[in-house]
Amino acid sequence: MKDFVSTVKENKAIADNIYMITLTLPEDVGEVHGGQFLNLATGDSSKLLRRPLGIVKKTGLDVSVCYQVKGAGTRALTGAKAGDKLRVLLPLGNWFDLDGCKNVAVIGGGVGIFPLIAVVSELYSQINFYSYIGFRNKGAMCLTSELEKSKKLTVVTDDGSYGEKSNAVAAFFDDCKNIEYDTIIACGPPVMLRVLKGELKNRGIDKPCYVSLEERMGCGMGACLVCVCKKSDGSNARVCRDGPVFGISEVEL
Amino acid sequence: MADLSVEICGVKLKNPVIAASGTFGFGREYNLLYDISVLGGVSTKGLTPEPRLGNPVPRIAEGDSVILNAVGLQNPGVDAFLENDFKFLSKKTAVIANVAGKTLDDYAEICGKLDGYADFIELNISCPNVKAGGMAFGIRPESIKEVTRISKSALKYTPLIVKLSPNVESIAVNAQAAQAGGADAVSLINTLTGMVVDIEKRRPVIANNTGGVSGAGIRPIALRMVYEAAHSVNIPVIGMGGITCAEDAIAFMMAGARAVQVGTANFTDGNAMPKIISGMNSWLDAHGIKSVNEIVDTLVLNG
Repeated sequence: MKDFVSTVKENKAIADNIYMITLTLPEDVGEVHGGQFLNLATGDSSKLLRRPLGIVKKTGLDVSVCYQVKGAGTRALTGAKAGDKLRVLLPLGNWFDLDGCKNVAVIGGGVGIFPLIAVVSELYSQINFYSYIGFRNKGAMCLTSELEKSKKLTVVTDDGSYGEKSNAVAAFFDDCKNIEYDTIIACGPPVMLRVLKGELKNRGIDKPCYVSLEERMGCGMGACLVCVCKKSDGSNARVCRDGPVFGISEVEL
Repeated sequence: MADLSVEICGVKLKNPVIAASGTFGFGREYNLLYDISVLGGVSTKGLTPEPRLGNPVPRIAEGDSVILNAVGLQNPGVDAFLENDFKFLSKKTAVIANVAGKTLDDYAEICGKLDGYADFIELNISCPNVKAGGMAFGIRPESIKEVTRISKSALKYTPLIVKLSPNVESIAVNAQAAQAGGADAVSLINTLTGMVVDIEKRRPVIANNTGGVSGAGIRPIALRMVYEAAHSVNIPVIGMGGITCAEDAIAFMMAGARAVQVGTANFTDGNAMPKIISGMNSWLDAHGIKSVNEIVDTLVLNG
């Protein structure tokens, strides 16, 4: 884990309100795995919190993350230009540990696809991925080409403006009998993960399922106890440090 | 190389820069970023007699140059702290055990358990984010005096710092109340109570509705209050509130603080505190000042 000033290499819109920013790090931080994230300054010094963003790609000293413009902080970040300096803390959190997995179903909704892309890019040569990806509409679609390394890729939209009118979870359950999978990984809005958890239970599917959670964070490294989630045993887990990846039955959604 | 060491209530700190409670856990996480033995001290996450789960999420929000938090004293309880974390932290740096309770008895109990272990106990009577036992004790001078007196009576060895709330009528009167109750030092300011609203949802961002405001934006308020407190008591004052860089820390010490705490700045830059320490050293060297103690309470008011 390092905290230093990175240099913006590129920052561009990749879909409606969605940007990809690539940063050049001043020194290497070692291996980064799909599911891990970084904490990035917005470039507006009046914003004291950094934004936790799932790492999409790391090549040498270049690391890319994507963000949705949601408020003043992410709006400020859209103004970052090549050569600008942004403080960054990374790598943070755990990752999707797919050791021993052969066939993995990937369920991603909206901006939740970014950590999943990192997983597929890293492991596609060893694992067959079956990816079910949902967006609000065609305008929100991005980076689906990165998922073409999946053995099977299904892209749907809420309004049917691209692919079938469906969502990622429904698309997976529509097809799950046709594929062999030993593990599920998922990331997306809380409502999507809740539905996934409920449906797995309803259908009696007890294959390992790992989800990546999102929460408003402070320090990003587990010290401040701001970003907790409830575990099924009633205790709290730190999304930033004990997660962001949890077994779906391990956490309350 | 200036001498940065300070002595507060007979306890020597290697420098006057202390991690503020709640932002730094028990030090283990930041120790992965840098060796936290460079710090003057660490004020722990607020400890209570029993483990607490804290508030629902979201627990944090942001304004301009400020953040708001309402963690609600999530902590493993004082016994687990002593068993699992105290040894690690005390080997690194001075331990300021920040403590809170629901009742006066809680404060006495927890102080008794930490006495002789912690280098200081910092009484949290100013947490704005819990219904009972936080700020309830920290508003009125009479209750400040009483909770201080009862806590102090449980302590034989460890000096007692009382952390003061800024959400009060007179910081000077409350600092005096802490002193009258037997406090060995006061620290201030805890967070101001505030709110941030999501207008699309027509709801406060923080689940608790209100949260404690901290960060650079509160610094002028904190500095004024530290000055007022330092000039109303004769026990040491530890200053905090929006300290981000060495110059901020120096201003607080000139206003009368004998040491400072740094909280929110750790979120903006994980290395904020080591930078503040080295920056203070450079400033003192550049001004030909041999010891940081020489700048304490040297503010000259206009006219």
